[in-house]
Amino acid sequence: MRVKGFLAALGLAVLGSAVQADTPMTAAHTPAFKGDWHMLQTYCVKCHNSEDWAGGVAFDTMSAAAAGDDAQIWEEAIVKLHGGLMPPPGKPQPDQAARAAFAQAAEQFLDQYAAAHPNPGHMVLHRLNRNEYANAIADLLGVSVDPNALLPRDDKSGNFDNIAEVLKVSPTFLDQYFSAARQVTVTAIGNPHARTQDNFFNGPPEPQEYQYMHVDGLPLGTRGGMLFSHTFPADGEYRFTINGLVGAGYLWGELDPNTLIITVDGKRVFENKLGGPKDLDAVDLQQAAGLTMINDRFKNVPVNIRAGEHRIGITFVQTSAAESNEILHAFVPVAGMGQPVNGNSTGPRLANVEIKGPMVAQGVSETPSRRKIFSCYPQTAAQEAPCAREILATIARRAFRRPLTDSDLKGALDFYAQGRKEGGSFDAGIQKGLLAILVSPKFLFRMHEPPPGTVPGKPFPISDIDLASRLSFFLWAGPPDDELIKVAAAGALHEPAVLDAQVRRMLKDPRSHTLVTDFAFEWLNVHGLELVDPDTNLFPDYTKDLETAFETEIELFVGNVFDSDSSVVDLLTSNRTYLNERLALHYHIPNVRGGEFRAVTVPDYRRGLLGKGAVLMATSYANRTSVVLRGAYVLDKFLGTPPQAPPPGVPAFAESQEGTDQLTVRARMEAHRAQPSCNACHAIIDPIGLALENFNALGQWRDKDIDAGTPIDASGKLADGTVVNGVNALRNHMVSHASQFVETFTANLMSYGLGRGLEYYDIPTVRGIVRDTAKDHYRFSSLVLAIVNSEAFREDEIPVKTPGAPAGSLSHTAAKL
Amino acid sequence: MFITKKHLSRRTVLRGLGVSVGLPLLEAMIPAATAIAKTAAAPKPRLGFIYFPHGAVMDKWTPKTDGANFDFPEIIASLKPYQKHLTVITGLENKSAIAAPVHAITPGTWLSCVPPRISHDPYGGITIDQIAAQKIGQDTAMPSLEVGTEERGGEGSCDRNYGCSYGKTIAFSSPSTPLPMEHNPRKVFQQLFGQGDTADERASLLRENASIIDLVRSDAADLSRTLGARDKVMLSDYLDQVQEIQRRLEKMEHQDMGQMQIPDAPAGIPAAFDEHMHMMYELIALAYQANLTRVASMMVAAEVSNQPYTFIGVNDAFHPLSHHANDPAKMTRLAKVQAFNTSMFAKFIKRLAELPDGEGSMLDNSIILFGSNMSNSNLHDHYPLPTAILGLGGGRLKGNQHLRYPDRTPIANLHVALLNKAGIPTEKFGDSTGQLTEI
Repeated sequence: MRVKGFLAALGLAVLGSAVQADTPMTAAHTPAFKGDWHMLQTYCVKCHNSEDWAGGVAFDTMSAAAAGDDAQIWEEAIVKLHGGLMPPPGKPQPDQAARAAFAQAAEQFLDQYAAAHPNPGHMVLHRLNRNEYANAIADLLGVSVDPNALLPRDDKSGNFDNIAEVLKVSPTFLDQYFSAARQVTVTAIGNPHARTQDNFFNGPPEPQEYQYMHVDGLPLGTRGGMLFSHTFPADGEYRFTINGLVGAGYLWGELDPNTLIITVDGKRVFENKLGGPKDLDAVDLQQAAGLTMINDRFKNVPVNIRAGEHRIGITFVQTSAAESNEILHAFVPVAGMGQPVNGNSTGPRLANVEIKGPMVAQGVSETPSRRKIFSCYPQTAAQEAPCAREILATIARRAFRRPLTDSDLKGALDFYAQGRKEGGSFDAGIQKGLLAILVSPKFLFRMHEPPPGTVPGKPFPISDIDLASRLSFFLWAGPPDDELIKVAAAGALHEPAVLDAQVRRMLKDPRSHTLVTDFAFEWLNVHGLELVDPDTNLFPDYTKDLETAFETEIELFVGNVFDSDSSVVDLLTSNRTYLNERLALHYHIPNVRGGEFRAVTVPDYRRGLLGKGAVLMATSYANRTSVVLRGAYVLDKFLGTPPQAPPPGVPAFAESQEGTDQLTVRARMEAHRAQPSCNACHAIIDPIGLALENFNALGQWRDKDIDAGTPIDASGKLADGTVVNGVNALRNHMVSHASQFVETFTANLMSYGLGRGLEYYDIPTVRGIVRDTAKDHYRFSSLVLAIVNSEAFREDEIPVKTPGAPAGSLSHTAAKL
Repeated sequence: MFITKKHLSRRTVLRGLGVSVGLPLLEAMIPAATAIAKTAAAPKPRLGFIYFPHGAVMDKWTPKTDGANFDFPEIIASLKPYQKHLTVITGLENKSAIAAPVHAITPGTWLSCVPPRISHDPYGGITIDQIAAQKIGQDTAMPSLEVGTEERGGEGSCDRNYGCSYGKTIAFSSPSTPLPMEHNPRKVFQQLFGQGDTADERASLLRENASIIDLVRSDAADLSRTLGARDKVMLSDYLDQVQEIQRRLEKMEHQDMGQMQIPDAPAGIPAAFDEHMHMMYELIALAYQANLTRVASMMVAAEVSNQPYTFIGVNDAFHPLSHHANDPAKMTRLAKVQAFNTSMFAKFIKRLAELPDGEGSMLDNSIILFGSNMSNSNLHDHYPLPTAILGLGGGRLKGNQHLRYPDRTPIANLHVALLNKAGIPTEKFGDSTGQLTEI
């Protein structure tokens, strides 16, 4: 960013010349900036000048000759030109050709300049985020943990939560982090002396009517209930208590006879009857005492379970609705004032389950976790120390993601010795040794170790060992496996053929699914669906399982594009999606029966991401669509030209008052755009959102606006003057500029892969990748490989600037994300 | 993790129908005279900083009359029983929150009064709760407690230039260290009371934690040898946090909780939002009472919260409703939401008023700031900020006042005054131009 003020400018100039004197680069090698300076004079300098400093940019202080010094500003300018964001709508505009020519000239210059001044950027000390932590724990110890229940939320930067610079450590984090290490190591080893503990598992969310539907994974012929995994610390008797089965003052659970069953790994271990005339009488005549009598049947149910992780199911045997007073349809819309009508249905439902145990621990059976950890087991006292060393060295190597040095194992061995002595068993010693590995900053942090003699400001290739971790955290969001470490330790990973083969192997591994659930979900912001709580007065058939179905659909849809190694443009265009009955009914697509998802060919308007319920709902409000949210979403996520946030003090716009005629969203936004200060951005944002107006806030197709009672008008004029009408036209327009979508996708993928925000000096790399992969039709793997092979990925550079530099020095204003 | 939970009493709350989780009420759990109450001869003030997003409908917040015995408009009506302890302040502004991304920097500047740097790598200002934590929080196990109710706000709480840090928390322990607001009551509870059941186990965990500290120090020293300057700074940040954990451990070793009956841990995050909010207030009260902390910060809802308040009959999502476009019907519903938020706060105040502390009540000895860093949510402006103080700070605050200051007096002037009332001599803070001596 060009700094305001003459002295500062002078300072920069002096610094600039000093740098030039140091480098072998001569003026002859400096590429020329061929943009039409005259266009700037005509259209831009009126605001961006050294009097007004609009946006902190003054083109009259800049020159074509020194354009390299302002690379950041030019990258920003290209985004503004591509997006039609500048000059603002309503101001005199250069024609499309001039606009494109200038952007192209700037890109050409910046690409050449970047090639002559390579800067791979720097990854600062990178803390594991909580997803990566959970993946690492699963890899190391074979224990699946819910990271959200163990560790605090990670800050996001740009779209992602794996950005090194913002992954800070707070006392709260450390506190939870140490506790988590203790918890997961005890869980993994098991505890033959486990004391009796209470664990709670919340049942399905409200409303509970859809406990009438079969839950995926539970035995056929059951309906409702819940299924979850739990790791039991020891063999022994555990007692189950199921809460909330019968209503107090309502009739659920007691009216008709039902059978509740408990399953462990799919096998029935308990069943008992619930409801029917006797129970109904008991509640009717004895009130609370009757309820207690029924509840007691499902309290402290003893079940013998072996140590380790098991899948626990609590469910009801399906009964014929014809023989009961139950309603006949699958879910009940809400009624009245938006309250779920719990009282109107009579079947049993459960609120939560409590598992208490072991009552008396009876040792620890062999579990997958223990098999993973105990690569040896001592038969004599003399074997203990060498075996402990073997176990801890194996896990430490995986945890620290590299071959070990002598000092690496000292802490773990000390902890082992202490635990062996105090805990009185080999297992207790190993648990403490594992604890020592997991609390270590060597596990918590990733880094790029500079080779001896590295000079700040000079790129260096990262070591094969560091490359292995960078690769695995990119493709698996977790640590490298033994094979990758082996190849890296042998010093072969940087060889192009080896690297290529490893990337392809890793993409085939199921762990690469994190590219869908971590990368794509964060990019598309569909993890946030729970934030949208649709107004159930307006959308009576909304239930939480619809939200889950949206997530599954988009997970399978994106996963298919990645796994089948298709062109990423298919993300916009594919007419193949994945539906179950619930979602197909919602989309009005016939002939899809049952709870499981399968591939379905959908009508054109539902092609690609623009037709996905998850995207359409994530960009709506509780009670209506938002053309602003949707327009801004498409601009940001798909086109890479995000609009500015609204300025402070935005004037209120007249909205329809209650009791008067209701206006369409279009009419309200038109009133808003009548004000020039609003029009500057909304003229660009709104037409995109309006093109999607045929989808309601839950992503269902509609022809009429229900507020206004008028037909939907989905027409509008995009920033470049193209007239679009509806989602198909919008999508076609985007596909005809596919490289813009691919560039945005690549920039996001690269930011996620690097674990840092993109800087202006990364953008030439992104453009290069888009150019190079065009011939391969932008296949997913070709984009991944191009990123992995980029200097930004394979090199690092210690920055010249140190922290404490003046405010603004680390500004990301030119970053595309 | 630090100290252990006492033996669990029989769960009662969870037996109820339809209630998924619950923290039992404190009064049932804690004998009236605790060890803390007895030993606190001259109690130090408890400080609270309770933030609500999206400002207030100001004519339903601001009393019409000034001075003592002022009136109570709708949004603050539930605070009427505590008028003797209440100071309402009108006319304040926070200039540091004025910038394009609005919501993304509003929470993080409330208590710092420093405009944040445009950067994803956060750099703003230290917040007054954390200044207090560093000055008067060092003799409790936790210098401060930060809690919230929603893990994530809507889209606008992040910004592509400013990142997410300033939009997700009101507490910064240094300009570059945002502190997360923990929203899971179970995790907060474990942070306060730890894992484990017996005194032996507690002692053994304490010893183990001391060894962990030594271990991570030595491993960090190993790492440091190979790091560049920038990364060394990150690592030294990490070591500072380790140091803080060590200090807490040492405090915890000397903490006597023998008299206190500790309630059951909450099972998780309650499904009902109002219950969740209530539970977080309860945890703060519990932490004050057990003398585990003197400083607490809370966001009652996330910035850009899209929470619908259906339990009071408001089905609109909170944030879009806050852009009410001056539609009287919407403003009525918004005020209802805001009055509800105040009423939950009032319950917390009631709890403090009922807890004995030294000669008086916990409320007598507290200074609780309740407010927002936005005024009219429809305009996204930061003047006049809805601001109230509860508690008398052990007699250092007057209470029963509605103070009206000249337009656009910096809220930093209030922060200076609050720090002084808390016994932390302060002359200048953020963009302060003096201090509000009248409180």
